Amino acid sequence: MKARSEEVARLLPGPLRAVVLTVLLLIVLGPLAYMFLASVSSDLAVARGALWPDGFHIDNYAKIWSTTNLGRGLVNSVLVAGAVAVVSAFVALLSAYVLVRYAFRGRIAVLRGLLALQSIPGTLLLLPVFVLFASAATALGVTIIGTRGAVLITYLTFALPFSTWVMVTYLRELPPELDEAARVDGASPWRVLTRVIAPLSWPGLVVSGVFAFLLGWNDVLFASVLTNPDTRTAAVELQIFGASQEGGALPVYGQLMAAALVCAVPVVALYLVFQRYLVAGLTTGGVR
Amino acid sequence: MTSPRRTATRRGRPLWMFLPGGVLTLLVIIVPLVLALYISLLDLDQYSIREWVGAEFIGFENYVEAVRDSNLVHAIGISIGYSALVTVGCLPIGLAAAIATQDRFKGRALVRSILLVPYVLPAFVVGSTWRIIFQPDGVANGLLGTSGLWLNGPRSFWALVIVALWSGWPLVYLLAAAGLQSVDATVHEAAALDGAGWWAKLRHVVLPQLRGPVSLALVISFLHNVNSFTLPFVLFGVPSPYDVEVLPVLTYVESFQNFEFGLSVAMAVVSLILVAIPMAVYLRAVRLDTGRGLR
Amino acid sequence: MNRRSFAVLASALLLGSTLTACGSDEGSDSGDNSGVTLTMLMGVNNIYPEQQRAWFTEVSDKFKQETGASVRFETFASANDELTKIQTSVVSGQGPDVYALGTTFTPTAYATGAFVELTKDDWDKVGGRDRFLPATLGISGPDQEHEVGIPFASRPFVMAYNKDLLTAAGIDKPADSWDALRDQAKQLTKDGTYGLAIGYADGFDPWKFIWAMTIQAGTPVVKDGKAALDGPNTKTAYQNYLGWLATDKVVDPAAVGWKNAQAIAAFGDGKAAFLPMVSASSKVTLDKSKVAGKYAYAVMPTIPPGATSLPAGGVGATSILSGDNVVVAKYSKHKDLALALVKLMTSEQMQTSYYKTFGELPTNQAAATALGSDPALAAIVESAGKSENTPFTGAWGQVQLELTNVVVQSIPDLSAGRVDDGKLTGLLGQAQTKAQQALDKAK
Repeated sequence: MKARSEEVARLLPGPLRAVVLTVLLLIVLGPLAYMFLASVSSDLAVARGALWPDGFHIDNYAKIWSTTNLGRGLVNSVLVAGAVAVVSAFVALLSAYVLVRYAFRGRIAVLRGLLALQSIPGTLLLLPVFVLFASAATALGVTIIGTRGAVLITYLTFALPFSTWVMVTYLRELPPELDEAARVDGASPWRVLTRVIAPLSWPGLVVSGVFAFLLGWNDVLFASVLTNPDTRTAAVELQIFGASQEGGALPVYGQLMAAALVCAVPVVALYLVFQRYLVAGLTTGGVR
Repeated sequence: MTSPRRTATRRGRPLWMFLPGGVLTLLVIIVPLVLALYISLLDLDQYSIREWVGAEFIGFENYVEAVRDSNLVHAIGISIGYSALVTVGCLPIGLAAAIATQDRFKGRALVRSILLVPYVLPAFVVGSTWRIIFQPDGVANGLLGTSGLWLNGPRSFWALVIVALWSGWPLVYLLAAAGLQSVDATVHEAAALDGAGWWAKLRHVVLPQLRGPVSLALVISFLHNVNSFTLPFVLFGVPSPYDVEVLPVLTYVESFQNFEFGLSVAMAVVSLILVAIPMAVYLRAVRLDTGRGLR
Repeated sequence: MNRRSFAVLASALLLGSTLTACGSDEGSDSGDNSGVTLTMLMGVNNIYPEQQRAWFTEVSDKFKQETGASVRFETFASANDELTKIQTSVVSGQGPDVYALGTTFTPTAYATGAFVELTKDDWDKVGGRDRFLPATLGISGPDQEHEVGIPFASRPFVMAYNKDLLTAAGIDKPADSWDALRDQAKQLTKDGTYGLAIGYADGFDPWKFIWAMTIQAGTPVVKDGKAALDGPNTKTAYQNYLGWLATDKVVDPAAVGWKNAQAIAAFGDGKAAFLPMVSASSKVTLDKSKVAGKYAYAVMPTIPPGATSLPAGGVGATSILSGDNVVVAKYSKHKDLALALVKLMTSEQMQTSYYKTFGELPTNQAAATALGSDPALAAIVESAGKSENTPFTGAWGQVQLELTNVVVQSIPDLSAGRVDDGKLTGLLGQAQTKAQQALDKAK
């Protein structure tokens, strides 16, 4: 039975799919392969623009851990980005549920506003956010700048508009009969949300979470001003490493590329794990 | 007899669910935004930043200077131009990837993850790598058999488009792929019963279902590219070559290198307005905000 | 029921977030010094990263011994980061107590008014103003009464040259005028090697050439609040600089895309005879390259283009006054401790050991004299003595940007092998307007 439904759900003929995938993989892997080759080349070779390494300098991968604080940066990044992903997906689900299922005055305005917020450039908000945190710190007598909490709150908020929109888009696809059925049974909105809606919105939650994680993982602008050397994320460490090479002596291209690849691995691994949940989706339970 | 499609109800509205998101947004985005707008009306530069509250109020002078004396108009043109090109280009690639990875095959998990990598890489890394590739004596010229500059001069615009495309298309792929998961099995059954071939099924049945996620992806991609700072900054450096002087780099230079904060915020606000208008029109057109009427 | 479970969930989330959010805490302010931690911001040393970390620990330990307070070091990666850090700290009134700034940024820092102007007492607290080499004090302030910068390290610019290539061509040393250098470069351009290695696409180098040539000609780009970017000498400077590739053909055509790093790489490969506008930091790379042992440093030409001797009113500057100044933030709660830290860092002992570890020249007179006659350093020491400071104005950042912008916008033409006279005039005119605007805003 499963094979039959798979057969029916097939979108592309095999050979065509193979061609498309090959082309895509080439496009993606080309520069990546170059990055890997550069990471094991000598720095002079990369500066010269050579494609093939002139020796196998795999020790670059060992050197990066002492040249920069990449280890601690990675730990900080995982903590911050992980927390941001989880919390933002949940908060987005809350807001999206209300926006999709309930009517209230200003609902469309909020939806439009969410999209408008997406268009605000980061450089605009950098100094004001910093001033805000600094003033709050002075007023409350606590330290805010330099803690992981500062970047966590910032990333969380920045991720919300997009996360909420994603959840709105997916929740719209869920048939309202599910809600009705649950509510007829006497469930409160909270129960409906947690017992019925949330398990079915996994694709949206994963996408929201992944996007939020990426925001926390890759952002440099805010992290560079809101963290101190102990709480720096990997992205800032990488940026600092790269920028510091730009003056005077030859940049250590090999180590730069090695560090860059190392920084990308956790996110790709994460997606490898979670993309299974995208498959589970609506075919488990729900409406048949 | 209940009306089947009516979901929006006024009864028992758990509006408190808005609180976490609302409070955060208010504190971390709205308040700084208002602050920034106030700053755009001040003469805030390196001489007055220390006591910024007391900086001189000059009304709209910053805006006048932004439009008249700086390269703002040109920069907005470049930004919108390249963002539009990239967004349009991302669409077919992202869709193709989503469709091609939808069907189960051996190694699909790995392929799906690899395809995501360009989007996952930090912009700084993408920029650095492609800058090395685009060196005059680098790999790009070597493989294509061309010579000359990619990072300055007329070709630089296309270099930016290429790199932004390479790193941006997985966004469309990501959203479309998740959207494909939501396509009901019954839809496929119905198409099979009708004897539809794969192309017909794609065109008439599957793709229309993706309209929601894909429209969202296009909007996000456009906005993301218009506001993208790190990529052009790392690729071309400052000062920017004229052909790729994009808006975020212009405001960054004005603010963080020239210390002209008031002016730079005014520039950002002007661009925000200019981008928001076509955005609003587009949203209305695809009815993204209302979601095809009240469901 | 729903409210309660929500509250539980929310608190769990909040608790979880707070736990991950617990970052490191800042030093507390107590009566005695033992609880105090000073924060110092410094440029990261990409050539000697481990040694720099060791140096940080060494300084903190010594300081703790002397005063009981410890020092925490923060680093910035590039000039842009440095500026951003200054801004966020100044606008919020909190941040590092002490900053080590590049000398060219001292005027910008001064313009914010956020840094301590050193009185005679303050100078005494750092060991006395006369413990420093007079030349290094040139960019500490607009005048002697208003100084904010205490010189810490000296990194003058020099030119590296390939001894073998010069000997083979019968030249015994680099010329001291730009015209003669160009002629030498022409002699040396053959068989795949070029006379000069220049990084035209570098964000930091090009303006220094223009500055040097114009100040040598007696018409500096900024004087008394007036910009002279559209003057004839400035145009000549650009024509010379760009002409090395376009008309004289003594530079590798690929150099239109080179940053400083690639120019060094080309010289290190033996493909160029002269490598101007480098500092002692290039020594590490060159000693690992093919030209190790075959190169030497010399000062750059001091006679402007079109002349055979220094014209009247011209200044024979070999380099911009380049290095690091240390400034103390006004918002710091521990000013005296900060000054004590600076005193430690600029003492003869620390300066000598700093030089030995990082290769940067000391600003402390005693240490500099003790260095004496290390032949490898002769040119660098000479250049340090003959450096001139860039104009002390808060608008210098913008002027510098405009100077660089002229080169950036000329690169497309340059890569086609020409310098378009009309376009250059136009670019210089625009640069002049913008630079003058910035200077007019200066307070």
